[in-house]
Amino acid sequence: MKNAKVVAGRVAAAGGLLALTALLPWLTRTDPALTVLHARYGDAPTTPDQLADVREQLGLSEGPFTFVGQWVRGLFHGDLGASWVTGADVGADVSAAFGVSLSLMAYAMAVAVAVVVAVALCLPALRRGTTRPPGGVGAGTLAALPEFLLASVLATLFAVRLGWFPAQGWQSPASAVLPALALGIPAGAVLGRLGQDALPAAFAEPWVRTWRASGLTRARIARHAARRALPAVLPQAGLTVVGLTGAAAAVEAVFAIPGLGGTAVAAALDLDLPLLQGCLLVLLALGVAAAVSVGLLRRRLLGPALEAGALPGLARTPGAGPARFYAAGALAAALLAVIIWGLTRDALHVDLAARLAPPSAAHPFGTDALGRDVLARLGHGALRTLAVAAAVCAACFVVGVALGLARWTTGLTEVANALPAILAGLLVTGLFGAGLAGAAVAVAAVGWAPLAAHTAALAEAERASGHVEAAVVHGAGRWHILRRHVLGGVLPSVGRHALLRLAPTTLALASLSFLGLGTQPPSPEWGRLLMENLPYAERAPWSVLAPAAALACVGAFLALASTPQGRGELRARPRRRRTRE
Amino acid sequence: MRRRGFLLAAAGIGLTSACGSFTGTAGGGRIAVDLAFAPTQGLSPYGDDGLLLSRLAVVDGLTRMDTDGVVHPALAAEWTRTNDTTWEFTLRDARFQDGGAVTADAVVGALRAAGRAEVTPRVLSDVRLTVRAAGERTVRITTGTADPLLPARLANPSLAIFSPAAYGKKGGAVDPVGTATGPFALTKLNGAVSATLDRFDGHWAGKAAARGVDVTFVADNNARANALRSGQIELAEFVPAAQALVLGDRARKVATVRTTTLYLNTRTGPLADPALRAAVRENTDTSALAKSVYEGYAEHATGLLGPGFAWADGQQLPVTGRTKAATPHGQRLTLATYTNRAELPEVAAALQQQLERAGFKVKLVVKDYARLETGALDGEYDAFLMSRSTALDTGDPVSYLASDFTSGGSFNISQLRDKTVDAAVRKAAGLDHTERQHAVLAAEAAILRTDAAVPIVHEEHLQGVGAGVRGVVLDPYERQFVGLETRAR
Repeated sequence: MKNAKVVAGRVAAAGGLLALTALLPWLTRTDPALTVLHARYGDAPTTPDQLADVREQLGLSEGPFTFVGQWVRGLFHGDLGASWVTGADVGADVSAAFGVSLSLMAYAMAVAVAVVVAVALCLPALRRGTTRPPGGVGAGTLAALPEFLLASVLATLFAVRLGWFPAQGWQSPASAVLPALALGIPAGAVLGRLGQDALPAAFAEPWVRTWRASGLTRARIARHAARRALPAVLPQAGLTVVGLTGAAAAVEAVFAIPGLGGTAVAAALDLDLPLLQGCLLVLLALGVAAAVSVGLLRRRLLGPALEAGALPGLARTPGAGPARFYAAGALAAALLAVIIWGLTRDALHVDLAARLAPPSAAHPFGTDALGRDVLARLGHGALRTLAVAAAVCAACFVVGVALGLARWTTGLTEVANALPAILAGLLVTGLFGAGLAGAAVAVAAVGWAPLAAHTAALAEAERASGHVEAAVVHGAGRWHILRRHVLGGVLPSVGRHALLRLAPTTLALASLSFLGLGTQPPSPEWGRLLMENLPYAERAPWSVLAPAAALACVGAFLALASTPQGRGELRARPRRRRTRE
Repeated sequence: MRRRGFLLAAAGIGLTSACGSFTGTAGGGRIAVDLAFAPTQGLSPYGDDGLLLSRLAVVDGLTRMDTDGVVHPALAAEWTRTNDTTWEFTLRDARFQDGGAVTADAVVGALRAAGRAEVTPRVLSDVRLTVRAAGERTVRITTGTADPLLPARLANPSLAIFSPAAYGKKGGAVDPVGTATGPFALTKLNGAVSATLDRFDGHWAGKAAARGVDVTFVADNNARANALRSGQIELAEFVPAAQALVLGDRARKVATVRTTTLYLNTRTGPLADPALRAAVRENTDTSALAKSVYEGYAEHATGLLGPGFAWADGQQLPVTGRTKAATPHGQRLTLATYTNRAELPEVAAALQQQLERAGFKVKLVVKDYARLETGALDGEYDAFLMSRSTALDTGDPVSYLASDFTSGGSFNISQLRDKTVDAAVRKAAGLDHTERQHAVLAAEAAILRTDAAVPIVHEEHLQGVGAGVRGVVLDPYERQFVGLETRAR
């Protein structure tokens, strides 16, 4: 019954997405004939006759429903149709790109797992078995690193300068190393941070004390604690598998890898619907496969305890000491000082004579390719960047928690996760017009999915815990249980997770802006600064370093600030907010 | 469990690193090339894919155009114009890559197929050709109206000649694998990813120096430059000016027939006032832009036609009778440009500042080209910054002047309707040789007089050429790159 609901949800959500994509040109009121013609013949002027020919040829004149009907009919025969632009068989193109992306994803996941393990080994919890929450500065900073920047730096260093790895293409395992690192490090940092969250809680569970008293080795306890922490992280890993396969376009471009991410983005921009549908179909299938395997694995890890309702509730871990609080304060003060300093300067003044000038007294952080002051642009961009990203993250948090608590939304979560942000951007801006708000809505429209999956995983464990069982016995209502028992366990972890996504959110917004779907230049958002200056990264590293460092600082600050504060104690206790010792 | 995963991951990474450095250098007399644009039509020649085939020396036409824009014999050894509208081309003794002879019947079939193509090639958009075989080696071509440009048209890659085996595919596309006549034969096309070419030993002009070409299509500018620097490839097409400094002498400068132009809306908005258009012109400092944004790889524009046209260089007529510039008082302008060319947003930002200093208020609109074009043609923007090729199809600028600046023009972004300009362009279209060139220069001056367009820079391209590579063709018309003489050390 429960399973039937989940399956029905998946089918409905996937069908909805595919239908929505099919209606893309009609919803966005763009003429697919024009974009297809441009994709075929470059930026040459078009004539009405040519447009009419193309419309005829693609069967566009008959409206969206004919197209959808034909596509679905073809699907039953295993025929994904022919690309509108190239006329090539979509099935062949998509399967080639999918093969490449799948192996790239496997390499990247290997890197990510290595990062997770490294992060976990750094934990005092694992080494000494304490339940103090970790600071997560390292993971928070790494998670704030933009993939495309990492990719460019790796390419310049290890492919161009040292010549250790190929600079482009997909011919041998060596081709995979650099892109896998660029994709795997930030992904692993996010997973590692979630693991950091779950691990101390596992150590705070009552069985640890019993085992320790019985003299079991620390390593053995640590292994079981890791096993207890795993179910909370696994759904995230499942989503990452899909994300690394379908949303790696930026890294694929740097290394000229013919993967699915780039194919999907190009198809979306060219309104090449058959190709886009093909890409989405494959990604959705992968998403469902990943979700099902994660589900099976979780059941194996948690199964008996879930059914018996015998899980220990998510233990409240004690707060961290004041040092972290002061560190966060110092970081925030430094960042704020830089921003205010920048705000006193002119961010738009173009001085072509001072192009790419290194840091000096006149330009403390140097200048960009138009001779604009990098410090000023950093300062002026801060408010907008952070405010919008915070708003998007908050929206994702609310929607993610709300939908994550409802069981029927599993399918919706998987579909939203498989949807490339750019497609959401095209849909939303087509419907509501381009602009900052449109871009923000688009990013939020897909950004809630990981939070919902996280919420669902934690809530499931919490609902199956002994104290909820006890509350039910005492006659507590659904709302009471939700408010008093489930949310209390879920919100802090998911909240920290939402904060972790702040930096990636700014970059997603910037990449939409870059396509003209968000804000317009010369407004200095941090993501735009990074993208604008990336071609000059080698000659003027300061122009890229400043925004990258600012993002990393914000990542580190949020990691520090979101660690629960309070007295360091070993016993599991309900947490109280304390600001000072 | 975690540990096992870690070990697996470590083993995997160890394995990949053990494979060590892998370089795609073609070696064995082959050349590895990165092209900037991937084929969109399976290298069927009727769209921009034709240019790719031509840059890779896969195809020949009846004629060919050299890097100065001069037309030479190719598959046709000679031609005569028997009357105003009729031409006779005599074929040379040549073979297709599949072994067949290039006969008049084959040529007629190929040219007729181009005329029937799904979307008519641009080079045929303003002319109607009737093609007949007039003997085994003679092809007679009749044009609807007198067309002095016919030999130049036939040099266009869209009108390249393929063997009869290439035609008759579904949808009218041409199958270029092993069916053309050029020095290199396409042996394999891997979608929009890569292509393999082998030398065609039976080429009429002799054997190419390189044994073959391995082509990768790489859209990302920096990725191509990186691959060239790492030594993985020998040639990289169109490397960005931002990379010129790090590439050093591996970046070769090529003049182009592209002019970055600021089109001003002459119909609606504040710039309908010619005095304000003059103010825009007077307040743009183009030489600063050429030096900075283009890193010196562009010349500040002296007119619409740049140094890519050898005959127009330095011959521009003085522009007289312009309206005197007024002083702007906070008029609001919308300046639009597109992201597909990396320099344009930077130029737009600099122009914005220059115009605001002069007294305008400027709003920038920067989008993907496909999302701008309709609005630009409808006159939605006051100013539109665009990199425009002034002569790609025929090597002649008249069709550009006609489409961009005459009343009925299909690409009249400036919305210009000026009788003097219309007459000047019409006059140029009917003339030939030097007279045509003089008339073109007169038309150019007539257009500039209206201030409908402010030429910003004449672009120069950078081609990435690896150390020790010789014989690369640096072509302003963007039709040639790899050639008969190209060889890697």
